[in-house]
Amino acid sequence: MDQPESTRTPDASHVVVQIDRTVISAEALLKTSYWFSRDFVCEIRNQDDKLVEVYLTPRSPMSASDLASAQDAFATSAIDFALREKIEAKTSGIRDLLLAKAFSESGVLEDQPAGVFGDTIEETKSDGMFKILDGSNR
Amino acid sequence: MARVFYPLERFAPSPATFRLLPFRFTRLNGKELLVNEAGEFLFVPSGTAQGLANEQLNTNTELYQDLKAKHFVYDDSSSPLLDVLATKVRTKFDHICGGTKLHIFVVTLRCEHSCEYCQVSRQTATRGEFDMSTSTADRAIAMMMDSPARAVTLEIQGGEPLLAFDVIQYIIPRAKKLASEKGKELDIVVCTNLACVTDDILKYFRDEGVKVSTSLDGPAFLHNKNRPRPGHNSYEKAIEGIERSRAILGMESVAALMTTTAASLDYAAEIVDEYVRREFHSIFLRPISPYGFAVKTRHRTGYEMGRFLDFYKKGLAHILKVNRGGYRIAEVYTQILLTKILTPHGTRYVDMQSPAGEAWNVLVYNYDGDVYASDESRMLAEMNDRTFRLGNVHKDTRRTLFTGDPALQLFHASCNQALAGCSDCAFQSYCAADPVYHHSTQGDMYGNRPSSGFCSRNMEVIKQLFSIIEENDRETMRILWSWVTGERAVKEVVECA
Repeated sequence: MDQPESTRTPDASHVVVQIDRTVISAEALLKTSYWFSRDFVCEIRNQDDKLVEVYLTPRSPMSASDLASAQDAFATSAIDFALREKIEAKTSGIRDLLLAKAFSESGVLEDQPAGVFGDTIEETKSDGMFKILDGSNR
Repeated sequence: MARVFYPLERFAPSPATFRLLPFRFTRLNGKELLVNEAGEFLFVPSGTAQGLANEQLNTNTELYQDLKAKHFVYDDSSSPLLDVLATKVRTKFDHICGGTKLHIFVVTLRCEHSCEYCQVSRQTATRGEFDMSTSTADRAIAMMMDSPARAVTLEIQGGEPLLAFDVIQYIIPRAKKLASEKGKELDIVVCTNLACVTDDILKYFRDEGVKVSTSLDGPAFLHNKNRPRPGHNSYEKAIEGIERSRAILGMESVAALMTTTAASLDYAAEIVDEYVRREFHSIFLRPISPYGFAVKTRHRTGYEMGRFLDFYKKGLAHILKVNRGGYRIAEVYTQILLTKILTPHGTRYVDMQSPAGEAWNVLVYNYDGDVYASDESRMLAEMNDRTFRLGNVHKDTRRTLFTGDPALQLFHASCNQALAGCSDCAFQSYCAADPVYHHSTQGDMYGNRPSSGFCSRNMEVIKQLFSIIEENDRETMRILWSWVTGERAVKEVVECA
């Protein structure tokens, strides 16, 4: 995955992080800004369809090196949130199934969730874990 | 003659593709820490999360086998093992099943101490109108036994509850009778400073199977500074009370809790040593609660969370040193978190549950019949903030308590799975929401995590524990595992905290 481009401005009172919107979504950018909002005012400016600039202005005086570190940390954090988004997109279906399955057997749900919970691969095995955990064996 | 084996691939061919199971990740000590939905974790080289996200990972490696074994991936030769993972998730969330287990009765607001940070809003020792009436006690007992929980704990506190010993004597037999009729197990704990305890009181507790939880803030100079009372002898009274209680009730039935004030911060080792000297086997290094009188006096008793974390780390290091020297003493907060990290289990400690334990797992019955979602909720009410007053035993039923606006608002903000800042956090399965804390400190039940003392404390402590786990020092891990596999004393302190 491409790195967002970090650019040091001459003005030490803030730094600008340039974000490629094709790499980092608005949601990932907002989540990153959320975690930086304690120490920085995060101003997001759309430059064009592809580029976003984030102005990080420290809430209290900060050395130039700390500011540079924050700039790098923001870029890294944005990539992490983009990765999390990707993982979430690939696993949200199975997470919903997993939680529905977990709680459907806990007695806290009034209705059984819709859908099939069978573990199709394990079911085909004579010694599969599904068989061991099947209700008839408990 | 050397033996030749077929390569591993002959028995378990490497799959061409794999699929992901849900997980979260963070960066720690130059590595990536992956945590799955059931709280199982794996330290992996930096770049692994990206390889997983892009499904570009060499499947012919030990790393891949580890990821598969820990439920981060599955492939054509295995399966998602959803039943197994679902069972682990369900075990982690076991605390939400069964209904309210902990029921706190505030039998009086009277107290002869005048602690500046007091978590209750004490009244002077002679004002009997702040005692729980028999009719209120009857209603509270009935409500407690309406909980679907099979086993309930009755925690009696104040003020100083021994100043209302007659109320205690009224409550205990009635609670026992109703518990027996409803087929419930009943544990009873009295939280007392022990200053007013007598042998007759202790014999009554012994005969009724009551346990005692008391306060011990450290050595005499610190305890007496934190806990002023007439005669300036709170420490001496506490120690004498602990000895007498142990003599009559037995060692296992007496636990102690400490509160960390600003005055405590420089004395982590001395506090631990006091607990060792008094032969306790658990200590709970917990920060002062931002409620009650602590809010009014925070300029004297309060401190930044960063200072508490320094105190905690020094205290934990000293506790580990004491354990290495041969004396077993567990730090309770560490034990709670490690249980969540190293085992499939959750915790009974209501402050660290998601969905939050407030109301769901604890109810507080105030002396006047008002019912609160937690002890902290009641402290807020004493400061004229009744946000978490769920109702009153004389007007409400368990159903109306749990379907009223205060409870519903609380529940809405009680799942860290759905909170900004928490929903993506790798530590989500180990942490909590604590809407009461965030309402108290930030004026918002949902809370702002980047500026939350609750978040910074847990984030820092969990990172510290993972650093220790990753370091994997054999002796340290042996000690920590001994805390997790646990002794009864630790569990009792947790329940009463």
